[in-house]
Amino acid sequence: MILVKDLSIERSNKKIFENVNLSLGSGKIILLKGKNGSGKTTLLKALLNLIEPSSGAIYWKGKLLKKNLYNFFNHVTYIADRTSSLSKLSVKENIKIWKKIFLSNISNSQVENILKTLKLDIYLDQKVNSLSFGETKKLEFLRLIIENKKIWILDEPLSNLDDESIDVIAQTFEDHRSKEGSIIFSSHQESEINVSEEVLL
Amino acid sequence: MIILNKIISFYYREYKLNLSGFQDILTNIIFFFVSIFIFIFSIGPDKETISSIGIGIVWTLLLLSSTLSLRKFYQDDFENGNLLIMHLNGFSFGFIAILKTFSHFIFVQIPFLLSIPIACILLNIANDKLIYLFSSFIIGSFILSCLGSISSSMNLMNQRNFLIGSVIVMIFSVPIIIFSVGIANLEENFNSLISVLFGILLIVFAINPWASGLCLKLSLENN
Amino acid sequence: MKFLVNPSKFNKVADYVFIPVLISSIILFSIGLIFAFYLSPDDYQQGSTVRIMYVHVPSAWLALLTYAIMTLYSIAGLAFKIPFGFIINTAVAPIGAVFTLICIISGSLWGKPMWGTWWVWDARLTSVAILFIIYLTIIFMNLSFENRIVREKVVAIFILVGSVNLPIVKFSVDWWNTLHQPATISKLSKPNIDPSMMTPLIIMTFAFIMIGIAIAILRIKTEIISRKSYLS
Repeated sequence: MILVKDLSIERSNKKIFENVNLSLGSGKIILLKGKNGSGKTTLLKALLNLIEPSSGAIYWKGKLLKKNLYNFFNHVTYIADRTSSLSKLSVKENIKIWKKIFLSNISNSQVENILKTLKLDIYLDQKVNSLSFGETKKLEFLRLIIENKKIWILDEPLSNLDDESIDVIAQTFEDHRSKEGSIIFSSHQESEINVSEEVLL
Repeated sequence: MIILNKIISFYYREYKLNLSGFQDILTNIIFFFVSIFIFIFSIGPDKETISSIGIGIVWTLLLLSSTLSLRKFYQDDFENGNLLIMHLNGFSFGFIAILKTFSHFIFVQIPFLLSIPIACILLNIANDKLIYLFSSFIIGSFILSCLGSISSSMNLMNQRNFLIGSVIVMIFSVPIIIFSVGIANLEENFNSLISVLFGILLIVFAINPWASGLCLKLSLENN
Repeated sequence: MKFLVNPSKFNKVADYVFIPVLISSIILFSIGLIFAFYLSPDDYQQGSTVRIMYVHVPSAWLALLTYAIMTLYSIAGLAFKIPFGFIINTAVAPIGAVFTLICIISGSLWGKPMWGTWWVWDARLTSVAILFIIYLTIIFMNLSFENRIVREKVVAIFILVGSVNLPIVKFSVDWWNTLHQPATISKLSKPNIDPSMMTPLIIMTFAFIMIGIAIAILRIKTEIISRKSYLS
């Protein structure tokens, strides 16, 4: 569905990467590997049309991404490496706000189940800024389920997580793949997630 | 219909956010009143002088206290990535700017509206002038919200010198102050001056999505 | 005319032009000052203080002209993606600020004997003071951003928004009843100023333009060099 052709990006005349080719079809999981500063985040941002490529193009369903931007946004969830939950509000309120913003019709029991598997259900009435960083990060993954979109773009989803949570996430990825969804995520560490393609930047 | 639902949920989120930080808005209002006290102490409690310059004082302090909350305009949403989420949720950057401006107007400027009558009592402003002050404040504060949107979006990436954001708002608010104070002081000119003020509002409102949207996009690109 | 938008071509032209411009500005200044102090007559009302005009009026014109140039280059930089526009903006802003400052100081020196006060809050004076503050804000914004791309574009947007002040400065004497007199010299009508005063004014204007260009060339060249070292 997403096709990246010969993408190169320069920032202030410094080449970040050159001639990257990608194709993200349904049921595919792509892992972007590379050192710090190799341009993983930059590539993900270019996929969201935030950064203008210096050459090459990105296509979405056969059309240029730029021409078809809001259609593309209807199908994509992006999770940055910072957490977007509102720290002054409680976990419950955050979930309620997300459900309203993304017009989601996910049921409460489903959310409770996920919170239980992520071991967040005891914090339901606590404010987000009393949670640890790893826990807010896990809370962020709830957005993947709430938004219920086909394409997941994740920036460093595995950092700061313990092995148990990584297993849960690997399971979620598998489920998503079996539902014809596709995932592109970046990581600098080894993991046991079963990916269909690795791209080294 | 989907877009309408999204806008409503945007304001639900803003409402929750501002409710949790309501003490900030209250602090702004307290700042406003404390500055009125200080003004009165510094010029002396002479009733005639106070009531002749009262409207000017109200307007100056409204401007100063609304620049206090500028830093919060986009900064929090920018830093935790919510601006990007709103964009991915189908709003263009210019539209986000418009929505945010209305939200600032509703949740930050309207509380000031309630505190104006009390300020009028403190400053000996005649009751019949209150209506002029109100009407000029509603238009003028919306212009201030637009200017605040422009200047705070400009300074998202400015880590060193945020005060410049307040300076930008104050530079462009000079005509608003001139015409708003003019409205309250010269009743016979009411219609013409309020039309001028409304014209300024339309100009600023037209510039706002363009300038703020561009600055938001720039800051997100280079963050 | 490509040297107006292309840094390397600008460098070439500037190398040819710089010395002649500098020399001609020195010559024009000496001729203009001799005219202004010895050869032009006293005003029948204002006496000798009218000679302040030969500094005041050219610096005011150039303060406005500099801002207009910056506005044009901001449009070029933002709309047509010409990076040279941002170089000009950074380089030229302090020059405009200095011209505005000269204009304000000479104006208040002129105002003290004529109006009896250093400063009045009239529309022309206030709008020029705001122009000065806008220039200072541009300079401070140039200093306070760390990211160069964001900085130059944000400054360009600010210049564009701030350009609403230009027509206000220009027409303030016509729109409002001000203490400041309306423009004596305009393109459309015959100037109502005596030729013996017109000549030194024109000469001084060109002298100011030349010195402005000379300083601008130096600043633009440094800006280009600093960017090259930044890039490599």
